[in-house]
Amino acid sequence: MRWATRAGCHVDRAACAWLIRRAIDPGAVFVFVDDPDEVPADATPFDMRGADLSHHGGDCTFETMLHRYGLDDPVLWDIARIVHEADLDDEKFDAPEAPGLDVLCRGLSMTLDDPAMLAVTGPLFDGLHEFRRRTLLLGREPS
Amino acid sequence: MEWLLLAYRMPREPSTPRIAVWRKLARLGVAKVGDGLVALPADARSRERLEWIADEVAEAGGEATLWVSRLTSASQERALAQRMADAIAAEYRALAAAAADAAAGGPVKEQAAARLRRELRRISQRDYFPPAERDEARRAVESLAAEAVAR
Repeated sequence: MRWATRAGCHVDRAACAWLIRRAIDPGAVFVFVDDPDEVPADATPFDMRGADLSHHGGDCTFETMLHRYGLDDPVLWDIARIVHEADLDDEKFDAPEAPGLDVLCRGLSMTLDDPAMLAVTGPLFDGLHEFRRRTLLLGREPS
Repeated sequence: MEWLLLAYRMPREPSTPRIAVWRKLARLGVAKVGDGLVALPADARSRERLEWIADEVAEAGGEATLWVSRLTSASQERALAQRMADAIAAEYRALAAAAADAAAGGPVKEQAAARLRRELRRISQRDYFPPAERDEARRAVESLAAEAVAR
């Protein structure tokens, strides 16, 4: 399936692309556009104005995706809190990891184009997922 | 320089979404340039945030359009930037005063330092024309944090 989002990926879009490949569509192909009008007819838009998979009622797109696809893995929701704060910084959640994740993604978006950005942030989110998974299992941070 | 202008209108009632939108705009440090018209220096991040707020206005039954614009008068542009710098400077002064108070009195310097550091980060994020007060606020907060660590 093809998925379309705005060019210039930051944390929310990078996290969504990772989530799509991991939990929704392993064969996902991403298209980057500058304007909602440029979304190809066969592509599902996300994190774009006017798209259903987008910000809603104070949620970032990553949270909307978890809702829409009924993903109830607690580790993904734990990551959602971090992505929410990294993207929106509205202090809805206590996520001390968020400012660091935001800076890393913003920095990477300066040195990489979108496909390369997603290639790098994929393993980053894999690692974050594993870390938070072990934390939830142990009830404390793993060493 | 280029500016982003958000022109928006929302129903008076219910007031909750209207207040939520205004809080988000205030957090971004927008300059109010008219009724339902706010401005920010143009950059990709501000643009994205204003776009989401525009959508939120629409979801709440209002109307919003986002513009990229340029002031025709350089002196008015300086005045606008100055007004934004003055508003931020007042926030930095209040922060420096709070840090001085905490250093003078409280036994809970550690918590105060952590809280004021967060506050400083938030103010810096909406500081588009850094005034001299920024450095004073930074020094005050960092000296408080150094004291808290030394205790």
